[in-house]
Amino acid sequence: MQRVRADAREDASRYRAVSLLARNWALLFLLLMVVVFSFSGKNFFALDNFQNILRLATTTLLLAYAETFVIITGGIDLSVGFLMGFSSVLSAQVIRKLCLAGWSPGACIPLGVAAAVLACLGCGMASGELVSRYRVPPFIATLGVLGVATGITLHISGGFPIGDLPAVITDIGNGYLYYLHPASGKGSFFRPPAAVTEAQIRELVRVFPNATVLIVAVLAALWYLLKHTRFGRHTYAVGGSTDAALRAGINVRRHLLLIYMLSALLAGVAGVVFVFQSGIGNHTSWGANYELFAIAAVIIGGASLMGGKGRITASTVGVLLLTVLENGLYLSGVEPYYRFIAVGLILILAVVIDQLFPDLF
Amino acid sequence: MKRQSAFVTYMGQRWAIVFLVLEFIFFSILGRGFLTLNGVQIVLFYGTTLALLAAGETFVIVSGGIDLSVGFVMGFATIVSAKLVAAFSRMGLSPGLSIALGVAITLAIGVGPGFVNGFLVGHLKVPPFLATFSVQGITYGIALLLAGGAGAAKDVPILANLIGNGYLLYWVRGQGLSFFIRPEVARGTRVVEMIPTMVVVTVLFIAVGAYLLKRTRFGRYTYAIGGNIDAAIRSGINTKRHLTLVYIISSLFATLAGIIYMLEYVTGKADAGASFLLDSIVAVVIGGASLYGGIGTVWKTMLGCLILSVLEMGLRMMGVPTFDKFIAVGLILIFAVLIDQFFPELIHKED
Repeated sequence: MQRVRADAREDASRYRAVSLLARNWALLFLLLMVVVFSFSGKNFFALDNFQNILRLATTTLLLAYAETFVIITGGIDLSVGFLMGFSSVLSAQVIRKLCLAGWSPGACIPLGVAAAVLACLGCGMASGELVSRYRVPPFIATLGVLGVATGITLHISGGFPIGDLPAVITDIGNGYLYYLHPASGKGSFFRPPAAVTEAQIRELVRVFPNATVLIVAVLAALWYLLKHTRFGRHTYAVGGSTDAALRAGINVRRHLLLIYMLSALLAGVAGVVFVFQSGIGNHTSWGANYELFAIAAVIIGGASLMGGKGRITASTVGVLLLTVLENGLYLSGVEPYYRFIAVGLILILAVVIDQLFPDLF
Repeated sequence: MKRQSAFVTYMGQRWAIVFLVLEFIFFSILGRGFLTLNGVQIVLFYGTTLALLAAGETFVIVSGGIDLSVGFVMGFATIVSAKLVAAFSRMGLSPGLSIALGVAITLAIGVGPGFVNGFLVGHLKVPPFLATFSVQGITYGIALLLAGGAGAAKDVPILANLIGNGYLLYWVRGQGLSFFIRPEVARGTRVVEMIPTMVVVTVLFIAVGAYLLKRTRFGRYTYAIGGNIDAAIRSGINTKRHLTLVYIISSLFATLAGIIYMLEYVTGKADAGASFLLDSIVAVVIGGASLYGGIGTVWKTMLGCLILSVLEMGLRMMGVPTFDKFIAVGLILIFAVLIDQFFPELIHKED
């Protein structure tokens, strides 16, 4: 009797170990890749490169957070990549026009950002209303909104990038939290130390990109929202079973509307970040496939497309995995086009595993 | 009151054709050079891509799925066919033979993405939009890899251009008609070109597709699966095999669109078809198909394609930037789905 019980305990602990491994395979894979690329990639294992990876992942991270919420509710948002282009063009255009009209950058930048984010919220409200009130399948509703948003984007920009923005934008977007000059021991926050001369600029050590500061803040806020608030619990409930959520008294319609608005809001922020990092506003090209990367990252993170499952931190790992893969392959001299193939294959694999062994995750 | 509602129902069921006629009249008056032989031929010529993609999409949507990969499968086909034709002609084959071989092999390769889609959807029960979404990424990556990032224009024989941009009939005053081959005339003589060859090819393939969906057992099974997949399984239809075939058909139509693109532009481009994805789904939906499956026909989809092509070319001939087309298309999609949702009796007959 005792032996049976001990066996059962052993089985249970073994199962728990396998399940733990399966659930965190993305993290293990990420660590493995870092090790492999440290040997195969030129200059991969360096502070600069790691910070680069974080900086480059910023917009994808925001889009993946947007998808995380939508996917947990059992939906999908195909419009995030194009809303990002919409937001970047709109904010760049507003900032440029206002600055040309003689406004100070301190006034026109916040106005441009606010305009873009509000417009995106409007788009999110449209998809949210379609999905929640009119029961349109999410991928069709967001496909329609995608078309409208892209049309407006191209109408504003005429199909060309919008540049000619104040330089302070890229200074903020590509800046770092702390600059240190090791030789003289001088350091300062947000800008190179005043005492450092032009010739010494190359010796500066830059620590922690500003964009990553933003991401850490957003990550913390969304993690708290999803894990520790009623809003988050309702999100899981709606995705797990809409009927049960309805019977439990959750206002599912309002909740779905808010979810799609949050998704569009995050896409809008991603567009603004794009402007701050690149200094231009540009429409999303049809071949960009931003959604593919965002959705793949969320699925790699262990979310289920059937809804009810998904974690913000796991989506972060998913994005980092894809970005490290891209960066590492590039530094190892592999053609960059493989990334589309790799992402497509990983997505298929993750979904098939989710389908065949749902209890592993 | 009752007669009025009967009239509304009658018009509602035919709103697409009414809309097309109104659109045609509108652009005939406002578009410069719209209502001419050339104007109409341009609409048809540029409509071929959309018509082929939408015909394939019709099969998938009738079966209750969706194919998000058609645009990039088409881009993939443009590059594969351009590369193959160029390779054959470099090997010293005659232009005609190298084009024929290249086209045949491309069609065979075009089965691939469809098979993967169909296998994932039919056998592994992956949601269609996700399966095709992943395949889209893979085909795009392979296409870019094959093209090396640039186009694939080098060494495609000039004959491709003659085929792709040729016409069925040429007419010169005083010399009469000639088929396929442009008559040699003195400079300044007007040659009237009639019926682009690629439009003829497109119509032929779409006719085959329409027949397949409407008149064969294959077509009836497709409707059965879209209508109720459980009932289809119980009545003994091999749904796994059938869904695989449906996605292969969609992929083949996209491949054909890619080949025609290659012949028309004598080059390959990885994202040649990307912007057509939205249009092709919208065309099917305008044609009265239901995104929940089981309803839709190829001919009605063609009506949707004509509406979109006339809209695009008409706007272009009026001098309006075509970007605005995307706004219209997105709104049409949303409205069509809403009407489908709330007034199904307006669109679908009660049979």
